[in-house]
Amino acid sequence: MHRLRPVHYLMIAPAQLMLAAVIILPAASLLWLSLERFTYGRSPEFVGLANYAYILADRAFWRATLNTFLVVNVVVYGELLLGLGMALLVAGWIPCRRLVVSALLAPYAITEVSAVVMWRYMLEPDIGMINYALSALGLGQIDYGGDPTAALGVAAVMAIWMHAPFTFLILYAALLTVPNELVEAARVDGAGAWQVFRHVKFRLIVPAILIALLFRYITAMRLFAEIWLLTEGGPARMTEVLAVYLYRHAFKYHDFGVAAATGFAMLVLSLAIAMPYLVQMYRRMLRDAA
Amino acid sequence: MQRNSLARRRLGAAALGAIGASAVRAPAIAQGRPTKLTIMSHAVHRAVATGAKGGDSTAAWRQRTGLDVEWITFSVEGVHERVYREASLADGNVDIAFLLERYGGPHIATMFEDLGEWQKRDPIEHFDEIGEGMKAAHTYRGRMIAIPYRHATHGFFFNRTFMGERGIAVPPRSLEEIAELAERLTYARGDGTRVNGYALSMDDPSAMVDLVRAFGGEFITPDYRVVCNEPGAVRAATLVRDWYRKGVLARNVMSFKTEEVITAMQQGRAAMTNQPFGRFVNYNDPRQSKFPGAIDVVTLPMAAAASGGVAGRPAPAKTSVWAMAIPRNARNKELSWALIKELSSRESTIRAAVNGNGPVRASAYDNSEVRQLAPWSDFEKEVLPTARLVLPGFENAAKAMDIYMEELQRAMLGQAEPQQAMDAVKARIEPLLPRT
Repeated sequence: MHRLRPVHYLMIAPAQLMLAAVIILPAASLLWLSLERFTYGRSPEFVGLANYAYILADRAFWRATLNTFLVVNVVVYGELLLGLGMALLVAGWIPCRRLVVSALLAPYAITEVSAVVMWRYMLEPDIGMINYALSALGLGQIDYGGDPTAALGVAAVMAIWMHAPFTFLILYAALLTVPNELVEAARVDGAGAWQVFRHVKFRLIVPAILIALLFRYITAMRLFAEIWLLTEGGPARMTEVLAVYLYRHAFKYHDFGVAAATGFAMLVLSLAIAMPYLVQMYRRMLRDAA
Repeated sequence: MQRNSLARRRLGAAALGAIGASAVRAPAIAQGRPTKLTIMSHAVHRAVATGAKGGDSTAAWRQRTGLDVEWITFSVEGVHERVYREASLADGNVDIAFLLERYGGPHIATMFEDLGEWQKRDPIEHFDEIGEGMKAAHTYRGRMIAIPYRHATHGFFFNRTFMGERGIAVPPRSLEEIAELAERLTYARGDGTRVNGYALSMDDPSAMVDLVRAFGGEFITPDYRVVCNEPGAVRAATLVRDWYRKGVLARNVMSFKTEEVITAMQQGRAAMTNQPFGRFVNYNDPRQSKFPGAIDVVTLPMAAAASGGVAGRPAPAKTSVWAMAIPRNARNKELSWALIKELSSRESTIRAAVNGNGPVRASAYDNSEVRQLAPWSDFEKEVLPTARLVLPGFENAAKAMDIYMEELQRAMLGQAEPQQAMDAVKARIEPLLPRT
């Protein structure tokens, strides 16, 4: 490896400056805001860690954290399984492939608000087609308005439906790059479809899976529209997730210090989740460079 | 103030970064003479101020001044969030802002002009006709920051078709009768449509406080005492919990906002509700409702035990007061005040009432056109003297309302007894109240 010289630093400086402007400065501003008591009509007042103490003592925050943890894991791994299944299906033999790919990508093109409204209609207790069908089959109804578990389940299903195409796209692209020679060689050696997938394709698409997981973990942490438009965090704030908790404090209570502290907590949580993947990717990058 | 403004700009950047929201509007007024005045409000204000039925209250003013009026409208929460954000900047683009009393409080009063001073200097005609309670709803520490424009006062609605189908001939005369009828009116109609006996909006305590007061209770008193754990209020919470268990309220009622209640009444999925009197128009509109002409409104009666022996005595109805304010940073305050005067005149009040507004001047109820178009006006006039706000304005009012609804819903879900839930409301809200 070559040693980095000043000219190299100079050449990467514009990119670093841009990163500082769009990521580090707003994050520092958010951190500072989280140390202040701040609302409309008042001068900001430095309160140290009081906002963090407030959220840590607030049971709604812990419930939101638990809900976020549960929903995000269900969503990310649900999407991974669904996306992988769809990618394998489409990468194999399938008629009208272009049409199928377009259809699979369609939910990703729908705005979240429209999608949630559509799902709400389908789940309406009296006229919704899903609840109507479930009732007709004697399976009861999905009561997202009164059952927090059902509401979180519905939110997770909606998120998977909306975002699975992203995971599908990454994994489908990765599967297309798997060399045919390797697959054929494995078949010549007597490998069946499952063994080809497990020992050849899966191993080659692991980096793509990690990237998909990383991106979706980070973006799923911001899960908001699905919950806000479905239940607004109710009943009894039992379906609130961290982004809804933040929104409530910022735009309903105008308690911006607490909202900023929540935002910073979300940032730390995202980093904690992303760190193992980032470390693994960094090690792989160094290994490849060597 | 300068530090405040700068900090707010920083706050705006951080909050927007965190949530990814909201566009920034270009300055509305160019240098020199303005070409328009900008009003930030809810869509309903625009509708009642400029509606076709009663006429446009701004038309004559626009003709006289040669200025245009730009309305920027948002949801109820959205209006306040944006108005406060605009008003906290060093230089603002909003000339008139509509505020609802429960989003106000002494902490935001400094961001708006003291209109009491403007009224002394250049008075609105017959200002004493506007109820003192309505003016007080927007007055903090002697500063009247907004001029009342609209009130939304609750009445009790019932579907006569459903009552006929269930053999009920006369409207209920007490809250106990309502409770009984609500159960009888929870049924499946001949065509299979399921009807819930009652519908409540549950995004805030507006509808719930009617029931609390009908039982002789209260949520928070005007002198900031939390009394929702006293017997009347607990009885109301118990009634709602029981209604939910018995299916009188829809299973998804906890996600009901005003819009869901309106739809449920229009589509015949609910038989009774308490909502602003003005909803009479929506419920009986043949273009929107399956029961045009069949949904009546009267005053909500007190519970027999709390009525002092007067059968059918109206409960103190919930009211809310929208009012017009001038941000301190507005650029054309003289013009803003002139337009507020125009919108507050007797003539404009009647015009807006014909367009469906809750008139803040008592004289509007005597107008024949208003009486013809608003058949509920006698009932509304009857309850106005005793009508009360949901709660007095203070900095943590939004938080207090959320706490109330959270604990009430816990009781409905069976996670707490109503008394226990209301005790929790008191314990959690008291530290949030202003220190007097």
